[in-house]
Amino acid sequence: MSLATQQLGSLVTTPPQGDSDTSIMKIEIGPSHPAMHGIVRFTTYLDGEVIVGMEPEIGYLHRGFEKESENSKWIQIVPYTDRLNYVSPLLNNIGYSMAVEKLYGIEPPKRAEYTRVIMGEISRITDHLTCVGAASMEVGAFTFFLWFIKAREYLWELVEEVTGARLTTNWTRFGGNATDIPDGFFDALQERLDKVKDIMAECDKLLTRNKIFIDRVKDVGTFSKEDAISFGFTGPMLRACGVPFDVRRSDPYSVYDEMDFEIPIGSTGDCFDRYLVRMEEIRQSISIIEQAADKMPAGPIMTDERLMHYPDKKEVYGNIEGLIDHFKLVMEGHQPPEGEVYVPTEGGNGEIGFYVVSDGSGDPVRVRMRPACFNYVEAMPAMTVGHYVADIVPIFGSVNMIGGELDR
Amino acid sequence: MEFIIEILSIPIIQSILKIIFIILLFAMPLGTVLTLMERKWSAMIQDRVGPNRANIGKYTGHGLLHIAADGLKSIFKEDTIPHGANGFLYLIAPFFGMIAGVATFAIIPIAGPIGDFTFQVTDIEPGLLFIFAITSLSVYGAVLAGTSSNSKFALLGGTRASAQMISYEVFMGLALMGIFMVYGSTRVSVIVDGQNEYWFGNLIPMWGVFTQPLGFFLFFTALIAETKRAPFDAPEGESEIVAGYFLEYSGMRWSAFMLAEYIAVAGVAVLMTTLFFGGYHVPWLHLWESAPQWLITILQITKFSIVTIFFCWIQIQLRWTLPKFRFDQTMSLGWKKLLPLSLANTTLTAVVVLTFM
Amino acid sequence: MELKVKKVERIDGVRESFYIPAAFGGLRLTVRHFFRNLFGSKDVVTINYPEEKRPVSMRWRGRHRLTRKDDGFLKCVACYMCETVCPAKCIHIEAGEHPDFSIEKYPARFDIDELRCVFCGLCVEACPKEAIRMDTGVVAMAYSSRKTFDFTRDLLRDEYDPRKHDSPKYGDEDLPRPESKESALPNSQGIPAV
Repeated sequence: MSLATQQLGSLVTTPPQGDSDTSIMKIEIGPSHPAMHGIVRFTTYLDGEVIVGMEPEIGYLHRGFEKESENSKWIQIVPYTDRLNYVSPLLNNIGYSMAVEKLYGIEPPKRAEYTRVIMGEISRITDHLTCVGAASMEVGAFTFFLWFIKAREYLWELVEEVTGARLTTNWTRFGGNATDIPDGFFDALQERLDKVKDIMAECDKLLTRNKIFIDRVKDVGTFSKEDAISFGFTGPMLRACGVPFDVRRSDPYSVYDEMDFEIPIGSTGDCFDRYLVRMEEIRQSISIIEQAADKMPAGPIMTDERLMHYPDKKEVYGNIEGLIDHFKLVMEGHQPPEGEVYVPTEGGNGEIGFYVVSDGSGDPVRVRMRPACFNYVEAMPAMTVGHYVADIVPIFGSVNMIGGELDR
Repeated sequence: MEFIIEILSIPIIQSILKIIFIILLFAMPLGTVLTLMERKWSAMIQDRVGPNRANIGKYTGHGLLHIAADGLKSIFKEDTIPHGANGFLYLIAPFFGMIAGVATFAIIPIAGPIGDFTFQVTDIEPGLLFIFAITSLSVYGAVLAGTSSNSKFALLGGTRASAQMISYEVFMGLALMGIFMVYGSTRVSVIVDGQNEYWFGNLIPMWGVFTQPLGFFLFFTALIAETKRAPFDAPEGESEIVAGYFLEYSGMRWSAFMLAEYIAVAGVAVLMTTLFFGGYHVPWLHLWESAPQWLITILQITKFSIVTIFFCWIQIQLRWTLPKFRFDQTMSLGWKKLLPLSLANTTLTAVVVLTFM
Repeated sequence: MELKVKKVERIDGVRESFYIPAAFGGLRLTVRHFFRNLFGSKDVVTINYPEEKRPVSMRWRGRHRLTRKDDGFLKCVACYMCETVCPAKCIHIEAGEHPDFSIEKYPARFDIDELRCVFCGLCVEACPKEAIRMDTGVVAMAYSSRKTFDFTRDLLRDEYDPRKHDSPKYGDEDLPRPESKESALPNSQGIPAV
């Protein structure tokens, strides 16, 4: 066990000294603060400018996702999953649909899988763009942030073409997707991806070899491999520490085993590595999208299973069985067979898993999402104690805490 | 007509007119317009349109009315005093920065002298040392604001401001040692006239940037750190300590801090122009012997304004290009890198001056 | 597929330790953006709302509207599909019997609380008659009281005008009625009206 893990007990909670010692200043980097990405509160104990203790407090955005799911039908939970990790909503939709599909034991058709991969990777790019942009804005490079937001806008317009909304996409259904890709999408996709690549090249020139930026993020928030694994890190944070763990390769799902991409890893686990890993992941995602767009097969976007999807309008108007199926599906909802299942997927921030329990009736017994950034915020004291108060900013920016995912 | 000329030749009336024209009608409008120009120029860098909505009826003026709108808004805002703040110190803190910023313009010549009349409010013998003395006073503004606000974030900002500003004054002075040695005096008019000489016979003017290139970079860096502009704006935090030392101010007092900062930006620009880019001297203008006096003056003022605005623009560009230093990196940059470099610059200049001049 | 790992390059050498080259590189980039936007605004992506509006795609889920048949009657038959499937429970329907027996059922009340709506589009998918649509292209609704967001059946129409929201001339009388019971069409079972 490394030294940091042994010291964790003394780092996390109470102030190091009693109230009579006035050399320790208690400062609330509070819920409403320009640099807090979601809403989270850090009670920090400072000795001059050095942090000697920190207590995070979360839950300011808790909206009762799990309780609300127990009172809904299965299909009504899909709009709720949009709002979990709200910068990459399609990855949450995909994760949840995959969990329910596993309960049923069916798989969506190939075209649906490929479109899911494309839309999921677009969401991943928007997640990383937001994270890196916001982190650099707080380090001081404001221009970087706004150029990345411009790039993100191009991608959101693509998402809007397919799903009908930019953020609250509500796109996947059990057994396939709600809508197919419209005509002219692939040309727009190529054009937009080229623009995103240009903006990435510009921003690379602006920051990656800039000594001021390197000084801010190098050796800040260093985390060793053993500590990261014991805290339960996944995703870019774990890969920056040097562990080549990616759910898309360790538990392959969908059609990721037909895609050829590399997993970027870092060496020391400091903020510089996390920034580089995320930038490299954006490039890898762009290459995955291009491969999937080339390999896209024609075909249906929804499985043929009865009572999984609304029938064609021809059937609904035409014969009585179609009408009955439609009405049964809406009134009673989906009724997956009894069972409990956990499906891990690679979200923007790490491994997000959906744990669903069904008892055979149309009401979900339990729907839970494993938040990826819960572990990172829990490890914030271990990462920041010993650093300056100005280091909270790059560390927290690289953690990419999304309030919706953390507090659900 | 003669009565007016007689009035105008009284020295006090001349000084008052110079103060009005140079400080009230050049420095302060420049600072005020810079507050808007920062937003518009940063918008152009960031691929967006800056403020362009403030209007009177249909006239928007591409956002120029925002200056008036901001001023009116600040005046009408509530002037809050936090509970437990040290009343008197809290109230006077914003104005130290303004005093220092405006006083910088007192010794800067805008155009060449016409006969006995100089375009300079005053031309005292220890000219540039006056600048250093006045900028030391501006430290008080930040420190008093930080410590009297009864707020922890403001205290952090004030502490950082005091350390940073006091350290970088040292480097400011050291970087200028070379200039004093090359031009032989601390008097501003002597330095500006010294830059009117030419090397290789009327080819390259002896501007400060050519005689002291390293001093130019060092002085520029020290001035940006002294005025707490990015990338040295750790006292102003904005990510970790929300707004630093002026956190608890609202309304016109906060506007006073902002205006002081922009007047300081303009002050930095005029200092760089005067010391390193020849002040008001238009290069190679002396070759045109038959130029009328009024034309020469107008050309000089134009050249001065253009170079000043260029330096304001460069400072704004640097703010939006470079990330911020962490506070301890600012201090270590200063004491470990700038100090040896400026001492080396001084020594080298001394050697060169003694050998060749 | 086998695991392909790529170690990211951390470049922090001698060239970076002089702050000037990176600063000049960055300055060149921002100055290029500055001059491109100074003369002609080539790269500016701002949309001057409300003079210009962002074009939305065809699938954009905006405010709801109830569609009508060719003869002007509402297509909606008050089957309660959309009310059942709505996750936010913002649709409230009451079925009613229309005096014209060829129309068996129509919504006497069809209220959508647009403030509760999450714009998910499940109601559009669930409707068997394609009676409710969200393709009005309305991006933002802004009214000054919460009550205004309770859209009744007659406000959910194609030619809805936000400025005439409070003084609608829409009412139940807008639904076409037969002139007399004699001219009313028989219903689908063939049972005449009289």
